[in-house]
Amino acid sequence: MIQSTDEKDIEIERRFVPKAKDINDEIAWAQINKDVLRSMERPRLMYWVIFLASLALFGFGVYCEIYQYQNGLGVADLENPQVWGLYIATFIFWIGMSHSGTLLSAILHIMHADWRKPIYRFAEAMTTFSLMTAGLFVLVHLGRVWEFYYVVAYPNERWAWPNFNSPLVWDATAIGTYLTSSIVFLYFGMIPDLAICRDNAKGVRKKFYWLLSLGWQGTDRQWANFRVAYLTVACFLIPLAVSVHSIVATDFAVSQQPGWHITSFPPYFVAGALYSGCAAIITLFIVLRYVFRFEEYMTMPILDKTCRLTFAIAMVWTYLNLVEYASVWYGDDPVAKQTLLFRATGDYAAYWWAMNFLGSVVPFALAFKSLRNNIPVMLVVSLLLNLGMWLERFMIVTPTFAHGFYPWTWTDHWMPSWVQWGIVAGSFGWFSMLFMLFCKIFPTVSMYEVKEMVYHRFVARKARA
Amino acid sequence: MSSNKIDRRDFLRVLGISGAAATLAGCGNTSIESGAELVESYVQPEDFVVPGVGVYYASTCTQCGSGCGIMGRVREGRILKLEGNPKSAISGGKICGLGQAGVQMHYNPDRLTKPMLREGDGLKVVSWDKAMGVLNARLGSKSTLSGQQIAFLTGEISGHQKVLLANFLESFGSTNHVVYDALSPVVGHGANKAVYGVEQPVLQIDKARLILSFGNDFLGTGPSPVRMAAQYARFRKAPRGTLIQIEPRMTLTGANADRWYAIRPGTEGVLALGLAHSLLQHPEFAHSIPQELAAALKPYDKETVAEITGINADAIPHMASLLWEKSPSLVISGPSAEGHVHGFSNATAIHLLNLILDNRGKTLQGQANHPFPQLSPAFGSYTALAQLNQAMSAGKCEALLIMGCNPAFTAPTFVPFANNMGKVPFKVAFTTQLDETSRQCDLVLPILSPLEDFGTHVAGYQPAGVELMIQQPLMEKLYPETRGIGDILIDLLKQRKPDAYKAFPDYYAYLKTAVVKAKPVFKVKESDDDFWEDALRNGVLRLDLPPAPIDARVAAIKVSAPQATEMGMQYPFYFVPSVKADLRDGRHANLPWLQESPDPMTSVAWDSWVEIHPTTATQMQIREGDILEVQSATGSVRAKAYLFPGIQPDTVSMPVGQGHTGYGRYADGIGANPFKILDPNFDEQTGELAMYSTRVIIKKTGENAKMIKDEGPTTLQQGRKLVVTMAADQAELAKEITRVTQ
Amino acid sequence: MSLSNLIKNWSSLRVKRPYEGQYKDKDYKWAMVIDLDACTGCNACTTACYAENNLPVVGKEAFSKGQAMHWIRIERYWGEGDALPKFPERGAQFLPMLCQQCESAPCEVVCPVGATHHTPDGLNSQVYNRCIGSRYCSANCPYKVRYFNWWQYPERAWPNPLEQQLNPDVTVRSKGVMEKCTFCVQRLVEAKNRARTEGRKVEDGEVTTACAQACPTSAITFGNLADSKSQVAKMWERQQIDLAKDKQEKSDENMRGYRIFEDLRTYPSIVYMERIRDLQA
Repeated sequence: MIQSTDEKDIEIERRFVPKAKDINDEIAWAQINKDVLRSMERPRLMYWVIFLASLALFGFGVYCEIYQYQNGLGVADLENPQVWGLYIATFIFWIGMSHSGTLLSAILHIMHADWRKPIYRFAEAMTTFSLMTAGLFVLVHLGRVWEFYYVVAYPNERWAWPNFNSPLVWDATAIGTYLTSSIVFLYFGMIPDLAICRDNAKGVRKKFYWLLSLGWQGTDRQWANFRVAYLTVACFLIPLAVSVHSIVATDFAVSQQPGWHITSFPPYFVAGALYSGCAAIITLFIVLRYVFRFEEYMTMPILDKTCRLTFAIAMVWTYLNLVEYASVWYGDDPVAKQTLLFRATGDYAAYWWAMNFLGSVVPFALAFKSLRNNIPVMLVVSLLLNLGMWLERFMIVTPTFAHGFYPWTWTDHWMPSWVQWGIVAGSFGWFSMLFMLFCKIFPTVSMYEVKEMVYHRFVARKARA
Repeated sequence: MSSNKIDRRDFLRVLGISGAAATLAGCGNTSIESGAELVESYVQPEDFVVPGVGVYYASTCTQCGSGCGIMGRVREGRILKLEGNPKSAISGGKICGLGQAGVQMHYNPDRLTKPMLREGDGLKVVSWDKAMGVLNARLGSKSTLSGQQIAFLTGEISGHQKVLLANFLESFGSTNHVVYDALSPVVGHGANKAVYGVEQPVLQIDKARLILSFGNDFLGTGPSPVRMAAQYARFRKAPRGTLIQIEPRMTLTGANADRWYAIRPGTEGVLALGLAHSLLQHPEFAHSIPQELAAALKPYDKETVAEITGINADAIPHMASLLWEKSPSLVISGPSAEGHVHGFSNATAIHLLNLILDNRGKTLQGQANHPFPQLSPAFGSYTALAQLNQAMSAGKCEALLIMGCNPAFTAPTFVPFANNMGKVPFKVAFTTQLDETSRQCDLVLPILSPLEDFGTHVAGYQPAGVELMIQQPLMEKLYPETRGIGDILIDLLKQRKPDAYKAFPDYYAYLKTAVVKAKPVFKVKESDDDFWEDALRNGVLRLDLPPAPIDARVAAIKVSAPQATEMGMQYPFYFVPSVKADLRDGRHANLPWLQESPDPMTSVAWDSWVEIHPTTATQMQIREGDILEVQSATGSVRAKAYLFPGIQPDTVSMPVGQGHTGYGRYADGIGANPFKILDPNFDEQTGELAMYSTRVIIKKTGENAKMIKDEGPTTLQQGRKLVVTMAADQAELAKEITRVTQ
Repeated sequence: MSLSNLIKNWSSLRVKRPYEGQYKDKDYKWAMVIDLDACTGCNACTTACYAENNLPVVGKEAFSKGQAMHWIRIERYWGEGDALPKFPERGAQFLPMLCQQCESAPCEVVCPVGATHHTPDGLNSQVYNRCIGSRYCSANCPYKVRYFNWWQYPERAWPNPLEQQLNPDVTVRSKGVMEKCTFCVQRLVEAKNRARTEGRKVEDGEVTTACAQACPTSAITFGNLADSKSQVAKMWERQQIDLAKDKQEKSDENMRGYRIFEDLRTYPSIVYMERIRDLQA
């Protein structure tokens, strides 16, 4: 890309390279390699604490799932009409979580926002793993999980197709595509770094990275092809990301149920997805920064930018949330209005108000620079935001079942059983276990792109001089 | 060595192979095709069984005393489902939930499969030989018992079983056939008898234009609910009749009323007198009753009546004018009006309205007089049980035989029947399943379920003509070691009266002979066998007899107001036990379908509950699910509160039938038994237990539990237009097409 | 559905249902009328359904959790709006609620595997073997008449020898599948097969559902709407209910027939007849 330092290029750099210093541009390239590769060697003790805790949580989730598998979904205290419970709520949550990886790695890539470079890799990993977690929830939720492949349009002698009218089939297709693309995108972006790993590893690991780096040598031709391919996949991924959560939204929006039958659901879901994803990125940012001693790369200015981005998305979400309430309130459907009132005043009122507070008021903490630069505060705030977003999903699914069309089947004070909670907790364990494993095996910070940042700075400084 | 040995299996295999080879060789000309050899299925079905085809057999339902004809669907020798028998006027091809659950009584996993004999504290399984040996030793030819020393306690029973039973007792010189029914209709029967001269007049519900029912739940627990429901359907077609129900706690019938009034329990008679007073203002009725009775009605002006009954004063002349307008009408009294100290006079006061309105012969008719009164049922009564209990307590009862009745569960606390059973040296239970009473017996004999046994039934309520209902086995007996009660009685009778019974090898032979003997009555020209076959096929022997006339005995009318008691101070609430149409007195609590069938009024299943009016509950700060202690002078029970608008605010109500402690997996540990808190109040006239006169106090225990019910947190439609209601004057029923025709 | 079938019938598969005269030339369209003035709320239909369709008794625990499996349930309301009257002076409002066999069923479109679909004779069928238990159909059903097998009922609901009562014509459902009222499809199939063998159509009254058969007040009428001479078709016509309309134009306001949630455009196959009360009383 940047191959000459003539005046025109310098002018471009001046325009696009931010004034604030995202990372220390004094860092030598070799130092970058060393720092990142070190993260794959020996992390802080905290790594093992987190990893083992995740493993334990995951183990408990597996136990709950086996218990549920053997006895039937009755152990989850699901009932008629509370047929979905936490599984679908958490499914949407994880799908949502996956969106920010794409935002950071693909959208911001296209927009040349350089500050994303040290953090997009783990965000993209987060995308992949949260999608995998979401996929698990589809399976956990099924009554006959052993027949899950019926949803897939595979050739069979009975000519039994899935029902292409069903949003669940759209879901399966969209999520499948998105997951595949995300993995490809994550992997593509890692190839140059894997080559670095290969060059620095020994023994079996060398073999492993040798295999994965696909013979990357860093030639000009390889770089040129790489750039094109990476950009292509990025462009491909962006509409996918938007479509996936829009489709998840149609699961609800195409139905006639009060509280679901809302046209603004797709953008609302996408905004919510980006929101919770950004909040999760802040959390993981702080965790990784500490665990892998990435203070040099995951710097405060980058956290600051992420927080500002999150704040902007939070406001979009708040707006769309209000649009939802307003369209129901001023709409002509008394049943939907009743359900909305039930959400605000009924059995789940506490959760509803908590959700609105956490989703719309707490993000104002991100508006203050002093708070943005306070890591413990940001850790708490980002966790609260995610809690709020999880509650949002819970508040979409549960009250409609509890207070839908049919008054005879309304439920009062329905709450999920320990099995559901166990599986939800297990999903967090599964996610962070995978994530931690990833961080240990693959370079979490994109080495080559950080090097670009340093190089750009170097060039820009020269230009200014 | 071993390789040379050919064992049996190898030998067969070799044969099979060569056999197959032979078949292949001779393909096209086998001995099977030529007909020289037959292919036989390994599975040989029984006669009359076509695999895969369901066949219907007629029989009679014994779940309650209505005597509905049923059709059992039998497939591969198993009874699967019961339907109504269209040939029977009682069921008219329809069936209630209780009747259908008969199959679950038959297939109940807790059924008794072998005889049991007391050994120390427990019952031990013994062989039939041993069991019959014990029975014969005590009650056979060498029995030393005589006269009233021996008693046979049953529930409502009719037909030839009843006759056999009486003959058996008679062989001892005993007439001690005690019939007990916790929900006895005796007070109502007594009042009917006094006023109309018949115990149970036929209610022509479909002919009435207005029904005024004082707590009579004819759709749920009446004498013949299926028949009356069919009549009710016709009653509701053009010209549509109006139903007014007056009761302290809404019954299923009340829930279907055009107008429902909550009345203070026990004051139904006063309201009836008030209505009579109001009616007599109409010149048309002024002379319908003697002057002195009219004079006695004077004090019952609408204000006084309203004061006593809690019913709006203006409603009384309104009801009276409706009665006057919509003729013919039908005024009926029910258990909640009759179950009081003055229950008999309540009922007669209610019947007075029928006399004033001259409904006799129009909507009220007598049952046809039929040629086999000996087969008519004996109705259970409390007094019978109390007398038996006294005899037992005094040690006068030496042998007690029990069938179809569970007084250990249903008897109130002041009749310590269960304790007194200890004073009877020999107690035998004939039952399909162990219950609280049979668990205390010395010998328990497993009898056939009604779906495996023969029998005849004559319903106590014969709506049209007379029907002798035939009960026949719908399948082979499920357990080899069970026997029909008829066979057991025949065996005993052969010992007691060898001459009279030696001609009958078994109960079937006896029954067939007895039924065939009645052939002349039915005026058919058939051979005896054909007659019997037809009877079995149809499940019913019908005699079309005209309804009998009924009397009008004005003199029997009692005019008395309920006396205020001091109980009211200490126990502020009236206690109304309610009866679920399917559980009845609790004898069906062992049937899972019925346990899971939600109560129509509250939608509660698998539980007991205390109904309390929402305003009372608000005053007492009671929420749904709060566990309440309902305490009477006699005892107390605990159950969850259910806020129920269909109840008089000074009243609480609990369903009977739950609270079993020894009746199998589906009944035990479910709910509470309100029979145990009934106060010892008795009807003045008949001496029957006044079930609806108990007073209670409600105490909160501070505990709360989830109500086991089908409905959600709301009992309202929330503007959803689910059940739309049309005013009667708008509907054009005559223009409608309907299956129900007059 | 084979590919050739798909191609051949593409235009008919694409058509919006229901449309006017959809069943005019068809042999069968099963439908029902429930007279709410005749329904007494006695629960006989519910028990009949348990007996006919092998519905499991879920027991106290599961019932209290709302996992009951009554394909037809009797609802009882105390009022139309949202205020409870002091006394239910006009009695209770009973409503037998069962699968409405909608012509445009919300459950059918959302099932990912097509386990619930419309049969040519107008039934909303449920294929247990195809069902994967996503419960989307139940979530989308406005009537909430779909029941999910939360537990392995065959192991617990029929202790020996209760299982001998099971109807061999009806599948016993395993855990993890959705089920609902089928209009007693096993009876319909048997009747249709018998009629076909005899070279005729099923006659009116030849077959009925278990609930209609038991109902002591004959409040439920079942029959073939495609046969204009059948009782049910005559009742629909007299009540001026058109299967394919979402808003009925009644020239006679006093006819009591209506369908529940018609404005949701589900086009139910069950017509309810308004409950009547004598308001002068």
